[in-house]
Amino acid sequence: MEQEMYAYKCTTCGELHHPKHYVCKKCGNREFEKVPLAGEVTLVTYTKVYNLPEGYMKPYIGFGIAKFENGLVVSGQLEVENPEIGMKLMATVGVVKEGIGKDYYGFIFK
Amino acid sequence: MREVGIVGVGHSKFGKMSGGTFTDMLSMAAVQALDDAGVKTGMGHGVDQVFVSTMGAGILNKQSGIASALVDYLNLRPAMAETIENGPASGASAIKLGYMAIASGMCDCVLVVGGEMMRVVSGWEGTDFVATMLHPEAEYNYGLTLPAFAGLFTKLCMEKYGVTETDLSIVAVKNHENATHNPVAHIHVVPNLYCITEDEDAPIMNPYVAEPLRMYHCCPVSDGSAAVLLCAMDKADKFKKKPIKIAGIGQATDTHAVAEREVPTDLLAVRLAAQMAYKMSGLTPQDIDVAELHDAFQILEIVESEEVGFFKRGEGHIAARNGETKIGGKIPINTSGGLKAKGHPLGATGISQVVEIVKQLRGEATGRQVEGAKAGLAVNFGGFGNNVVATILTKEEA
Repeated sequence: MEQEMYAYKCTTCGELHHPKHYVCKKCGNREFEKVPLAGEVTLVTYTKVYNLPEGYMKPYIGFGIAKFENGLVVSGQLEVENPEIGMKLMATVGVVKEGIGKDYYGFIFK
Repeated sequence: MREVGIVGVGHSKFGKMSGGTFTDMLSMAAVQALDDAGVKTGMGHGVDQVFVSTMGAGILNKQSGIASALVDYLNLRPAMAETIENGPASGASAIKLGYMAIASGMCDCVLVVGGEMMRVVSGWEGTDFVATMLHPEAEYNYGLTLPAFAGLFTKLCMEKYGVTETDLSIVAVKNHENATHNPVAHIHVVPNLYCITEDEDAPIMNPYVAEPLRMYHCCPVSDGSAAVLLCAMDKADKFKKKPIKIAGIGQATDTHAVAEREVPTDLLAVRLAAQMAYKMSGLTPQDIDVAELHDAFQILEIVESEEVGFFKRGEGHIAARNGETKIGGKIPINTSGGLKAKGHPLGATGISQVVEIVKQLRGEATGRQVEGAKAGLAVNFGGFGNNVVATILTKEEA
């Protein structure tokens, strides 16, 4: 099944949000439309984590915070060998956690 | 609004609790605080309200309604009682609520006790438990943790301000040195700076946890409890110890998802909480003689020291390099050993910080005393900076 991540666009002022908020951070409106969110991003910062929480059968995972061209900044997993702050990457959507009977989808920066 | 003071403090040994229940652990600190203040225990105690702070008793220890259990265990019935949860800032939040209860006139005497018993689960389970305070969909589900965010934050601070791994180690070693003079600290061993930074075995002695953060740049996982007894300043003469006044309290929140913050190297909630506490107390950063800053990760001590106004933005690491935050320096920070070496039992931490400031202002911090300290600041940091409480204490002139 094709999975998508979304920005939540305020129907009154157009302010974009991610993650979802109940009330618009700019105008206070409570209605949003979902806009697919993926594509080119700029890497803001990154880390490689070795002490993972329960449920991850890997020695480490890379993580990053990245900025979309529309200004939204999001966290995600990072699959890049030699990351550098400011580098251009693609924000893809994939499985970020395998749960029991349910996979969790999120951003993977490549 | 009535003025509020602290007349009793108590603190268990932080580390691994062996034997005893969660309620036993809380009771140790609570009874010490009552004894310190000279309050009678049992019937006729005079405690109007008990606040208990814990983040994980319900999850880790499978015990809820802790405040009700503690009041009965200590035979403080029928005192009012609530359990307070505000992540790792639960302790300072509970003190704030105790302050409000007295300032409002509803209570004269409030016992605030905090504790966490975290070493009953594996490190992986503990890391997962602490990560539950992150944003469920935008952070937690990715496997992001508090050390992960500290790593992301440290990388940015290195890039923007030139903080180095050695700077983080310098802060860690300072705090470990301070902890050797604090009998209740978790760790009484001081790492050698050369061995954890430059030695060829340093990467093994001090491995990465979340790059660029290494093991000695992160706090340990600790069990422990701490307590303070608050009273109305106009009733303070009933107690054995002279009160240390709560001169200012501030609290501020920030975005739940860290990535949404406008300036990712800022700890805005720390700055706003400190500004609020300064305004309430009528003091400035220059008036503070000693500070306990929430150093769950060593980068936090550096950036918090800037956000509370001790140093210019981007210069906290240089001050640490120059020894300005050591005892005897311009502004001694984390004389208790901080979270780094004293330990970080989440619900106890904010209260433990205030206990250290009280000891400093009373002149009871043997071996680590800041001479002539009259005003102290504590910063208790919840989430990855999304809920922060700052408390300023002052010694009243005789």
